[in-house]
Amino acid sequence: MARILVIDDNADLLQMIRMFLEEKGGHKVVLSAEGEDGLAKAFADPPDLAVVDVMMPGITGYEVCRRLRQNPSTADIPILILTARGQPVDREAALKAGADEYLAKPVTMAELLKHVDGLLARKGAERTAPFQGTLAFLSLRGGVGVTTLAVNQAVLFAQQNAGRVCLVDLSPSSGHAALQLGLRPEPNWSKLLLGDARPDGATVRGALLAHPSGLHLLAAPFLPLVGRELPRQAVQGLLSALRQEFGVVVVDLPSVLGEGVMAALEMADFIALVTTADPSSIQSTVGTLQVLKPLVDRIALVLNQVAPGPSPPVEALQRVLKRPIVASIPFDPAQAQSLVQGQPLAVGSPSSPLVREVSWLMGAFRPRRAT
Amino acid sequence: MTDRFDAFGSPEGEGQAAEGALRANWLTADFFLHSYRISGRVDIRKRPLFDILNDRMTGFIELEDAYVSPLDRPGEIIATYTSSHLTKANVTLVLVPHRDDALSRKQSYGSYYGTYLQQIFLTVPSFEVVGYLRLSARVNLRRLLSVETEEFIPILDGRVRASIRPDVVFTGGGVLVNKHHIGAFCLAEEE
Repeated sequence: MARILVIDDNADLLQMIRMFLEEKGGHKVVLSAEGEDGLAKAFADPPDLAVVDVMMPGITGYEVCRRLRQNPSTADIPILILTARGQPVDREAALKAGADEYLAKPVTMAELLKHVDGLLARKGAERTAPFQGTLAFLSLRGGVGVTTLAVNQAVLFAQQNAGRVCLVDLSPSSGHAALQLGLRPEPNWSKLLLGDARPDGATVRGALLAHPSGLHLLAAPFLPLVGRELPRQAVQGLLSALRQEFGVVVVDLPSVLGEGVMAALEMADFIALVTTADPSSIQSTVGTLQVLKPLVDRIALVLNQVAPGPSPPVEALQRVLKRPIVASIPFDPAQAQSLVQGQPLAVGSPSSPLVREVSWLMGAFRPRRAT
Repeated sequence: MTDRFDAFGSPEGEGQAAEGALRANWLTADFFLHSYRISGRVDIRKRPLFDILNDRMTGFIELEDAYVSPLDRPGEIIATYTSSHLTKANVTLVLVPHRDDALSRKQSYGSYYGTYLQQIFLTVPSFEVVGYLRLSARVNLRRLLSVETEEFIPILDGRVRASIRPDVVFTGGGVLVNKHHIGAFCLAEEE
């Protein structure tokens, strides 16, 4: 049974859809007669799917779609547009606004139910399909929790795909991924990336550390690199070798856009650009988005609250950043303790708010919506 | 219960009076002006859209919940109004979902006996239209295009292409075309 929000200004139609979807489809239906009210209901308690009319008083269904997609809590819900504006250009407009499917009235209730169930099944399958590819975590502002998120994300992936996930800590100035996982950073990537020879698969495997969660770690060297930069070709070769070996490669990137980091970003299927709400972090993120414009389609903005206290509304930050924030990670006081213990929250406190949000974020890294 | 509902959100029920009444009350249609597409609901409680458009007693047509799109971006809604009036003289054509929505009551409920469909092509400012005329006798173009009778002519199974955006095509069960705006009117050869 799914919880379905139906937004339409036709009261009779709403009742009819409710009756049919509940009685024939076995779903729970929440009704709303106009866009703003529908959005409020969706944000308060995100549904499993939304059916949205286009022509409504107040805001249009397209605007409802856009706002649902902009809000992290509803960005991923399947949306079915149901409208009397039934021309091909209207279908294009609906998909562009963020709808997953479009149905032109007239439509039978059986057709509607078929599309609702089909969309739920498709989205469910996408959600449960394990992520495959390279995921990079980046922020040009230090101290925003990039390593924490990368480590927890990698552990969560490893819990789904034991032995098939590798975390790479590319920090040249004493990375902390090994510390967070309670591992000693030896061996590490220093011989792989700074040596003259291109490492083969066996050499790469030999440099990995194993974590009890099933995660493999390629740690950063304990001592900071002095006067050297990560070489582009070496990073490319390393990540290619790891992708052949592992289904998922998570890369924890340092706060600098050097040659090696750019190579990693260019090879990444998704880039989680992490920011906090403080002005300096926002400024760095705005600048990062500008210089990474060619890669912007792969970037998912992640808001991480690293200190207790109130935070500005996500909507306000999105306006400044001119992009949707796909996940908002709450402050978790247990994180400090997990650092001391060398045990990520994803292992020690799987029900913590941070882990819950990161595991939700995991669902965002899927093949992008075709529009 | 049958479960089909139509463009106005009402079901085509089996003897469901309330649903039938709903269906008969409002028609959602696309009104095309020179540079705009306006989608809205027309009150057809008393008479069908054909009769409303061809009523010479009033030069306006009233829409409820009008959604305005510029013709160069016809899928984008730039404004919405709960109530609006269109000047009939400036309406180039009206696209409706079903054939019967474009016909007068006597045409839609009348017998199909003795009628045939004649394929036509016509141009109006900003659009070209392909569709069918329902005729009951040999076509008399002079009479057909005379504005002394009805000002809007019903074309069935219409396909409307925007001149400025040839990639954009609108289709509908019926198109009511303003005769005053017709530039070229062509009959396809009968097979």
